Order: sequence, then structure tokens, then C-alpha cells
Amino acid sequence: MEQFLQAGIIGISLGAQYALLALGFTLIFGILGVVNFSHGGFYMLGGYVAYACVDRLGVPYPVAVLAAVGTTAALGWVFELLLIERLVDDHLATLMLTLGLYLVMSTAMLEVFGPLAMDFRFPITGALRFGPVYAPLENLVVLGICLTAIMGLWLVLFRTDIGRALRALADDRAVAMAQGLRPKLLFPAAFALATGLAGLTGALVTPILSLSPGVADPVLATSFLTVILGGLGSLGGAALAAFIVGIVEAYSSVYFGGSIGALILFVLVLLLLVFRPTGLLGREVRGA
Amino acid sequence: MSGSLLPRARLLGGAEIAAILVFAACFAVPMMTKSVLVFSVLNQALVGVVAAQSVWIMLRMNLMSFASPAFMAIGGYTVAIAGQYEITNVFLLTAAAFILPALVAIPLGALVLRLRGTYFVLVTFVLSQIMQLLLFETPGLTGGSNGISGIPPVNVLGTDMATNRQVVLFACGIALLATVITACLTRYFKQHFAAIEENEILAESLGLVVWRYKALGFVVAAGIAGLAGFSLVTMLLTAHPSSFDSGTAVDFIAYTIIGGRASILGPVVGTALMVYATNLFGTHGQYAQGLYGVLILVVVLALRGGIVGTVETLVRKLRGAS
Repeated sequence: MEQFLQAGIIGISLGAQYALLALGFTLIFGILGVVNFSHGGFYMLGGYVAYACVDRLGVPYPVAVLAAVGTTAALGWVFELLLIERLVDDHLATLMLTLGLYLVMSTAMLEVFGPLAMDFRFPITGALRFGPVYAPLENLVVLGICLTAIMGLWLVLFRTDIGRALRALADDRAVAMAQGLRPKLLFPAAFALATGLAGLTGALVTPILSLSPGVADPVLATSFLTVILGGLGSLGGAALAAFIVGIVEAYSSVYFGGSIGALILFVLVLLLLVFRPTGLLGREVRGA
Repeated sequence: MSGSLLPRARLLGGAEIAAILVFAACFAVPMMTKSVLVFSVLNQALVGVVAAQSVWIMLRMNLMSFASPAFMAIGGYTVAIAGQYEITNVFLLTAAAFILPALVAIPLGALVLRLRGTYFVLVTFVLSQIMQLLLFETPGLTGGSNGISGIPPVNVLGTDMATNRQVVLFACGIALLATVITACLTRYFKQHFAAIEENEILAESLGLVVWRYKALGFVVAAGIAGLAGFSLVTMLLTAHPSSFDSGTAVDFIAYTIIGGRASILGPVVGTALMVYATNLFGTHGQYAQGLYGVLILVVVLALRGGIVGTVETLVRKLRGAS
């Protein structure tokens, strides 16, 4: 029973991290129609920026996390404005652009920080005890921040004018533009919001898991998995799917070990695509 | 009523003949040199170009596939497992390495070809992830994380392809075969593929049975990828999951896009240049990824035709000027 509860806590905490990543990914797809292959790269970049701030500049960790969010968001903004914007209606071209950016980013990190894992530790350690169940404090802190960020994103998207504008562009770009919404301002903003979320996740999670140039690939694969499961472009679907993926991963690693859990999830996603290509909560699929 | 609407092109065009001649000429290289470095680079390029052609076939229909490593794995492991039973006949192995991935691609194609554009890209990415996990989770068949080593050399008409030179010659043969198959397929169905690339819905409404050509392309591309897996396993003498990592799909896509997606010479030129450039980095091979990244950005933003397309445009302009 303890093991069951413990795995549940880990699963929910993983789910919250995946939700932040998947929300960013699905936001970019929903609003711009771009599949962002550099999403894992921004996660990695967030981790490295936070590490560099703490280790090289001696900045306190919370400030380093903010710096990571700022850097990844700024880079996302510039990248969208200068490159993606030119070809925003061509799915394959924008996909290639983000893939190219990802390759450049990971090579740059390799050049600056080397191929080995960094010694980057979460500043809070220890565990809370609820009867027989231990919950690692670092996971709880990350869970808290992730849930706050998800709430914040929800408020921005559903309670502010910018959010309404972004959702309008996602619903129907032509009509939204006819109403006077300006994609030239809003697309970079959406991209920056999403890459900032990826950077935030990276800055929070890499000290707990690990930080090396190789961390981006699994993150990208998990983001894909989650958004396909939830339905590309669907925010609620992405959040729901993220928690499903996190919980399945946690329980399967406790009870089966190895990569069986991942295998089950991937096959599940493949089958879902056959019977329900729009995912759990997706509606109409853009270009599918 | 599909095919009759569209005129069939001549069986082989200039680009196809040029590509076939390139690989025919490759047979001469191992005769002219003993350099281990030349053998190694040429062999890598010959494996890469086959995989890149598999990507290119799908790109003819505007479908970007990340599934090539999965089908390469099926081809490669088929040969490795056959080797454990001391089956080394080249014709048998080549047929198996082509047919088995193609057979697997039939039901998979029925699933994934329902999807278009970005959704197709994501699903093929998922496929190569599944294959990677399957390789690790089936140690009884594939050796799990140890892979299968000690694969016996391929036997061509009584001769074992054991030396470096013989392995390169064998890789030339596979590349030539793959190029002939790719050239015939894409040339014979040129108009059909182009119609799907241009506007699938329009093509369908004009009476083209789109799924038939997409399925055919997908199945043949899987078989070609299987041949690449055969060539790779023969070069490395071992079949290991890391050789078929989904990340390698990025390399093959990069070769094709940088070389140019309009002509079969694109994957050929792209692979040759990129493999050569990767070797220039020497022990810092990982930096090649950065070069691919920059070149992809340049091609997508400025030189849409890739290297081959840009050269063609330049030649046309020069001719026009003179």
C-alpha cells in the first residue's frame, strides 16, 4: 500500500512536469500550426541557464529559474519573429526550422558545457512523512510550482485579452485577423510563452533528474506522446494526458521495471490514433 | 480508373541515370585505393544514401517520415538473426531484408497513412520509438541491450565478403540496387506522386486513388530502409539498438533536405557531402549535428531546392544568359 501511494505521488509530480511541457507544445501547435521540434531543446536550455547562473554566477536558485524562463522566452520570441514568421503557413518548413534550431542549440550546449552530466542539485532536500509514506520535498516543491504555473497559464489564456486573442487565432486565424488581431505581435508572444514554460520545466526538473546534452530527446518524445494522446492543440487534453502518462510511467516502473511502461504508452497512442485520431479531448485536427 | 488519367513518364530520366552511374562508378573506388579512411567514409555514405532514399520516396508525396530507423532495424536484425542460423547467401538475405520490412509496413501503413502532414510526422516518430523499446524488451530474439554480434560475412556466389574492400563492394551493390528500385518507382509514378505532393484532396477528387500510391510508396520505402539496415549491419558486423536510434532519422532527413528534395540526386549529393563533412570533424563528430542544423535553416529559409535544386537553377540562369 505504501509503495502504491508513493508511486502515486511520483506519478502526479511527473504528470505536472509533463503537463507544463505538453501545454507549451500544444499551444504552439494550436495557435501557429507549428510542430516544435526544439521543445526539448528549450527544456535543456532552461536547465543549463539555471545551472550556469547558480554555479558560475553564484545567483540564488529561484533567481536562476527566473533567468532561465526569461532567456528561453526571449530566444523563442526572437526565433519566431525572425524565422518561423516567414514560413508560418508551411507545416513541413516550420518543422524543419525548429529541427534545425534544436540541432544548433544542442551542439552549442555541447560546446559550452561538454558532453558529461552537470553536478546540479536541487537546493531543497529531505522528505515529508505522512504516516508510512515519504514524499520527497523537492518533488512537492516542483509539483507546487508546476500547478501554480498551470493555473497562471489558464488565467492568462481564459481571463485576459491577450489570452482571448490567442485562442481566437487558434480557433480560426482568418476570422481572427479580420477582426483586427495582429498575428505579427501575437505569434511571437505565443511562441515565447510556450518556450518559457519549457525553460521553466527544465530549470525545475533537471536538478532533480539530470542535466546533459542528451536530456532533450526523451523530453521531446514524451511531449509528442502526451499531445497526441490529449489531441494536438487541445489544452485540456494535454493536461489530462500528461497526468495519465506520468502516473502510468510511475506505476509501471515500480511494478514492471524497465521500459515496459513506455512501450505500453506508445502502443496505446498508436491504437488511439487508429480509433480516434483527434486524441482524448481534441476536436478537429489541423491538416491531419 | 486511376492510372489512365495521367500520362506515364519515360522510365528513367537524366537525374535517375546519373544517380545509377554514380553508384556504378563507386565499384571502381575500392579497386583504386587501399586507404582505410576512404573505405570507411565511402561505406558510411553508401549506407546513409540508401536510408536517405527511403526518406526521399515519402517526401515525393510531401510526407516526412521518421520511421526509417524502425524499418532499418527490421532489415538489419533479420540479417543478424539469419546469420545465427548460418544463412549467408546474399540473394536470400537481400530478399529477406527488403521483403520483411515491406510486409510489416503493409499493416502499419494502413494505420499511419490515414494521417497527413504534421500528424504523420509525429506518428512515424512514435513508430521508431516503439521499435527502439521493442529491441530492448525482446532479449530472446534480438539480444536486448547487448544486440547481436559476430555476424558471419555475407556470401556472394561462393565468396565471403570478409575484407574491408569486399564489404565496401557489397555496400556499392546494395546502394545500386536501392537506387534502381527508387528510380523506377518514383519515375514510373512521377505524376501520381507529384499530384499527391501538390494537392492531395484535389488529386483524389480528380479520381486518383491516393491511398494506393501512398501505401505503395510507404511499403517500398520500408523495403529500401531494410536494405540500408542490411548494409549497416554488414558494415558494423553487429546489430545493436543504438544503431537504429530514432535520432538517426534526423540525419537521413537532413541529408535529403540539404541535398534537395526535388530530384533523386538530392539524397545522393546530400549524403555524400554530409558524411564527408562529418568525417572532417574527426573525433569531434558530434559537432556535425550543429552543421546539419545550420544547413537545414539555410536551405529552408533561402535555398528551397537544396544543393541540387540551387545548382540546377544556377545552370539554367547561366544558360539563359549566354
